[in-house]
Parts: sequence; C-alpha cells; structure tokens
Amino acid sequence: MRAAAAGGVGRLPRPGRSKRARRRRWLGLAYVAVPLAFYLAIVIQPLIATVNYSFYQWDGVSPATWVGGRNYTTFWSTPDMAAAFGHVVVLIVMFGFIPLALGLLCATLLSRATVKGQSVYRWFLFLPQVLTTVVVAIIWKRIYSPDGPLNTILGLIGLGALRRNWLGDFTWALPSLGMIGVWGGFGFTMLLFLAGIIAIPTELFEAARLDGANRWHEFRYIILPSLRGQMAIALTLTITGALRTFDLVYVTTQGGPGNATTTPALLLYQLAFVNPSVGQASAIGIVMAVLCMIIAVVITRVVEGRDK
Amino acid sequence: MVTRRSLLGVGAAAGLGLGAAALAGCTPGGRATAQNSPAAAASNKSISKLGPVTITLLDFWSGDTAKWVTNTLKAFKTKYPNVTVKRTSIDWGQLVQTANLRLKDPTPPDVITVNNGWQSLGVLVKAGLVTNLDNFAKLYQWNKFPSTILRQTEFSPDGKKMGEGSLFGTPVSNSSLIGIYYNDAVLKKAGADIPTDFAGFETACAKVKAAGLIPIGYGSEDKGPNTAILLQLQDFFGAADKINDFVYSTGTVKAADIGMKEAATKLVEYNRKGWLTPNYAGIQSADAIDAFQRGKAAFQFQYTGSYAFTPAQQQTFGYLQLPQPGSGKVVGTGASTAVSMSSKCKHPEVAAALLDFLAGQQCAQYVVDNGLLPLLHQVQGPSNNPEFDTEIKGQQSLDRDNGYVPYFDWSTPTMLDTLAGQVQLLLAGRGTPDSLVTAVQKDYDKFQATR
Repeated sequence: MRAAAAGGVGRLPRPGRSKRARRRRWLGLAYVAVPLAFYLAIVIQPLIATVNYSFYQWDGVSPATWVGGRNYTTFWSTPDMAAAFGHVVVLIVMFGFIPLALGLLCATLLSRATVKGQSVYRWFLFLPQVLTTVVVAIIWKRIYSPDGPLNTILGLIGLGALRRNWLGDFTWALPSLGMIGVWGGFGFTMLLFLAGIIAIPTELFEAARLDGANRWHEFRYIILPSLRGQMAIALTLTITGALRTFDLVYVTTQGGPGNATTTPALLLYQLAFVNPSVGQASAIGIVMAVLCMIIAVVITRVVEGRDK
Repeated sequence: MVTRRSLLGVGAAAGLGLGAAALAGCTPGGRATAQNSPAAAASNKSISKLGPVTITLLDFWSGDTAKWVTNTLKAFKTKYPNVTVKRTSIDWGQLVQTANLRLKDPTPPDVITVNNGWQSLGVLVKAGLVTNLDNFAKLYQWNKFPSTILRQTEFSPDGKKMGEGSLFGTPVSNSSLIGIYYNDAVLKKAGADIPTDFAGFETACAKVKAAGLIPIGYGSEDKGPNTAILLQLQDFFGAADKINDFVYSTGTVKAADIGMKEAATKLVEYNRKGWLTPNYAGIQSADAIDAFQRGKAAFQFQYTGSYAFTPAQQQTFGYLQLPQPGSGKVVGTGASTAVSMSSKCKHPEVAAALLDFLAGQQCAQYVVDNGLLPLLHQVQGPSNNPEFDTEIKGQQSLDRDNGYVPYFDWSTPTMLDTLAGQVQLLLAGRGTPDSLVTAVQKDYDKFQATR
C-alpha cells in the first residue's frame, strides 16, 4: 500500500481514488448511454407525453383543449369505469392468487415426488405460457361454446343442468374469463416455484427429516419461506397482468354481455382508437401505470420487510 | 437518511415532473386555429395535359372480392394514361384507427377510404385533413346520386354539423345493406312462403317454429354484429327522415321517436316465442352465419356481403328488403364506402376524377361482376344466380324509395357499444325496450354535451 506507507494512515488519499473512480464512472455511463437513450426515447418520452395528453380534451389530430385535471376528477364517471375496476378485482384473484396456490401445489408435488415422466408433466403444464393470448382465447371460445367440449362433458357426466352459455351469460362470463387466466397462469408460477425449490439445499430437507419433520412441515418451514422472492415476482407479474387485461377480453367478449367483462384497458383502447378521446384514454393509462407501480412496490416491500 | 437510491428516485421523479411541466405548455395537435375548409377549386380540363402524374390510394379492399377495384383502376388508366394510381390496401380496422394519423402525415395518401360518423370522417373534417368537394360535386354532377347517400358524407365546413353542409367524401358504386336473408329450402319444409311483407315474414316464422325448425338464425355473443337484427327491425317502424335526423344530430328528434322501442319490443317478442337460435347468447356471429348457410334456420338478419354462397345455395337462398308495415315504403340501413381526398393532395383535379370514376357506371358493373352489391347505377346482374338477383332487387327498391338510413352507430362514438350491450341485456331479461331507448338517449345526450 503505497499511499498508506507514505501517509502513515489507513486511508487512501482522495485524489488518486477519485481520478480512477471518475474514469470508471464515465466508462460505466458510456456503456449504458445507448440503452439509456433508447429507454428515454421509447419509455420515458411517451410516458411524459401521455401525462401531458391526460390534461387535454383531444381527438388525436385537431388542436387540443386544455381541461386541467378534469379527465382525472371525472375518472370514475367515465361510463363503465367503476364496473371495469370491479371486474379487475375478480381477475386479480383468478389471475394472481389462484395460479399462485396451484403453482405452489404442483411445484411441490413435482419437485419432491419421483413421478415417472415428470418432465412431460412440467412441459404440459407450462404449455399455456408459450401460446399467445389470442390463440388461448380462440381455444377457450371453442371450449365454452354452447355445443363445445365443456358443455358436452357436463352432459356426459350427468351434470347437464350446469350447461350454459359460459361467455354469453351475465353471471358466468367474468369467472369464465378468469378460469382462462388460471389455466394460462399457473404453468408460469409452477415453473418459477420449481426453480426456487430446486435451489433449496437438500441438506435442509435431510436435517428436517432427521428432526422428525413430515411433508407438511417441510412445506411450511422450508419451501414456503424459501419461495418468498419467487412469490413476489409471480404476484407482481400476474396482478399487474390482470390489471392490464385487454387481448383476452377483446377476442372473446369485447366486454360483453352488456358490460359484464369490461376492463380498464378495454375502455382505454375504445377511448384512444374508436371514439377517439385521447385525453381520457391517457388518464386511464396513467392511473393504471400508477396502480401497477404501487402494487409492485407494496408486494416487494412486504416480502423484503419479512426477509429483514 | 438520504441514500443514493432515494436520491436517484427523487432525481427521476423530478426529471419526470420537469419533463411533464415542460410539455404542459405543448398543446397536442398544435395551437387552435379556426378550421373552416373552403371548397377546393375544381377543374378537369387539364388532366390529360398534366404530364405524368402519380396519386396514391389507401383502401381496405383486398382479396378476391377486390377484383372490381383492380378493374376500375385499369379502366381509369385507360382513360387517363398519364395518371398512375399507386394503391395500398390494409385491414379495415387498422385503416379506421390510423386514418387520422396517416392524413396528418406530411405525405398523406391522396385518396383514402374512410369510415363515416363523428368519430371518423367528422374528426378528419374538423381537423381540416380532407378536402371540401363541393365544387367537384358541381363539376361531376354528383347531386344525381340519392340525397340519403350523399348526406352520409356531408359536414359543415367547421366539422360541427353532420348530414348537412359540404361534401367531404363520395360514395363508390358498391353498397352494404342490412336486410333479411332466407333459406327457401327450410321455408318449403315448414310449408311457408317467401314473404313479401312484414306480416308475411312473421307468419312464415310462426310456421317454421311450428314445424320444429329455427325461424331466425342468431348469435349475440360478440358485440356489434348482434345489433343487425335490431337495426333492421327499427327500419320497419321508424320514419326514414327521423332516423336520419337522429343520427345526424339535428337535435330535433328523440330516441323514443325513431322506431327503436317498437324494434326492441319485437325482438323481445321473437325471443319469447322461441324464434331465435337456442343458446344464441353463447354463439358468435360468424358461427351463426355458418349455421344459417348450412340450413339451420329459415331467416337471418344480416349485413350484405357476409355470405359466400355456393352455386347450389344460390338457387335456394335469397334476400328481402321488405317495405314498412305502416307506410309501404322501403327503408333500410345501407351505405357505400366513403372515399375522401386529402387536403394536402397536390393534384386535386386528378384525385376528384378518380373519386368520380369509383362512383361510375363502369365501376358498378365491375362490382356486380365481382358478386358484390352495386350502388348508384342500374347494372346487369350475373346470370344463374337468383340469390344475388334478390339482393340487387332489394338495393334497387331502396334507390327507388330513396329509403337509405345511415348506420345507427354513426350517431355517437360510443353508440355501437351501447346498443350492442343493450341488446344483450334486453335478451337476457335484464333490460326492457324502455331502458334500451333510455340508454340510447343518454348516450346521445352525453355526446352532444361534449361536442
């Protein structure tokens, strides 16, 4: 330590360190400059522009009229808006929490048990994730149709009374859409949890066994605490995904019957491209973005808080 | 404690805030100026003397059903050898949703197919993006076309009134109507005749039902197409001028006065009598169309151009444009595709000649040869296609009675969604004809208040 020997103190003199550090910092900035420029142009600039649009009444081409915060103060009186957010709550449960529980169950079973051909099961359960939503929607439209497989099976097993027009029924349309989310989402959560469980050192399970732990104890005291990080990721992605649901609804019901399956994203699309009322659409977009950020922060904080 | 992370967060938030504040002074769409599109000067004398001219056409016509466009453009080239029409075709939905941005572009298409109504052509007129065609209308005598068709593309030059004022788009010689299709094979099986009036239609439905067959093929799962039945029923009960006035927002007509309640009442009655396809609430429009073509129902309320009949089916299927039970006049929802000219078009006289050509006799013949419904001109239908003959006959009855009413969804940007949802509520027993009419009026009033 040349500096220490010369100065007789245990600290590096500032000038030498800061010069090197400054060079390193500029080098770092140079590395991120290009992606940062893209990020600013593709994400930040449109975000700022959207915030700006949300304060105007604008058809997209004519000169806009400044309306201040009116698009926000009248937010809940936008037709179907309250209903749309109500529907999102149902979808959050079905897209987020049910796949979380099912994924946890499947991952635990598939990781701990030695089942013949389990990689086939994993592949099969993950399959919905690799399909695009439009394909998924078309498949399920067929499954839910009046003479589709679901009603046929119900009839065959003596549950004919339960047959109905799943996507055309005011009561059942939303849960039916939610079930598509469950089917599509739990393969993802399962894979995420499976990776998490595999990363747990096997010594922990062996030690627990020696202490007399059974399968439930293993799950409760080893698997569950180890998967907090994965659960946070799964919940953040599935819940924000539910909040942004558009393509599934657009392809299957267009928000119908009546307004039984409208979502904020569907209203945003209608206001931005069909009506067009770009200011109101932008306000919806901003509110959704803020909600997504809050949800992500809350979930992360809860998990991080527990880890501390 | 102030950490580096929190400093970064504060910095990012401040940056966003500053950016937003800076942009707040930036009015989207530019500063407001009084938009008032004067009529473009019109002259067709010099087209052949202009030298080589290229104009661009953006439309949605594609596939086999667009042969008439290719043929029309070939004929146009023969008439004006110095003019090249550079054509681009995109999907209808994409065209409608991006037309305003495409026309706002510094190099927009010269001629473009547009959707009618406040939310489409209305926006373009208001923004001064399309040309006022009044002088060309005089030059080419477009007033020879039915006034109910021309009205569909008329706006006040400031874009504040629809259905009156100046012409901002022209029709093409191809129409799309809503009417009733029938399957004579099913009617014969039930011992029913092809109806010639509304009472005959209901008698036939009753007979078909009594024979254990489905009178009206229907699927209401997807919003939009599920309204065809209501709109055709409305055309039986509403006065054409009142429906026109309502859609064009003259402010003189209420939703209760346009036959909507009577139509909704009939629809509920048909539903109660079991005349609609069972489980219609879970059936998509496309599946209902397919089922009807496979002989599963006697009638279907549908848009023309929705079916691809085989030569055998052309002998048994047919189309009805029945007269109103009250007035005896034929009233029907029908329109042509509107074609507009960009206000930045460098050769308006050439573009106007193309508009005129697309609305011409020769184009109408190409349309019919292509198996599509003509408009504006009397043309010879193809031989040995009785089904198509009935469609042409129906369209000509509308021409004769000048009975076109516009698509109802042009009345407000949200009307199609409102109406489609109301039809679903009505048929599910969650709404009444009165609540449907109230919802339509509410939608209308809300839009008028913001216009």
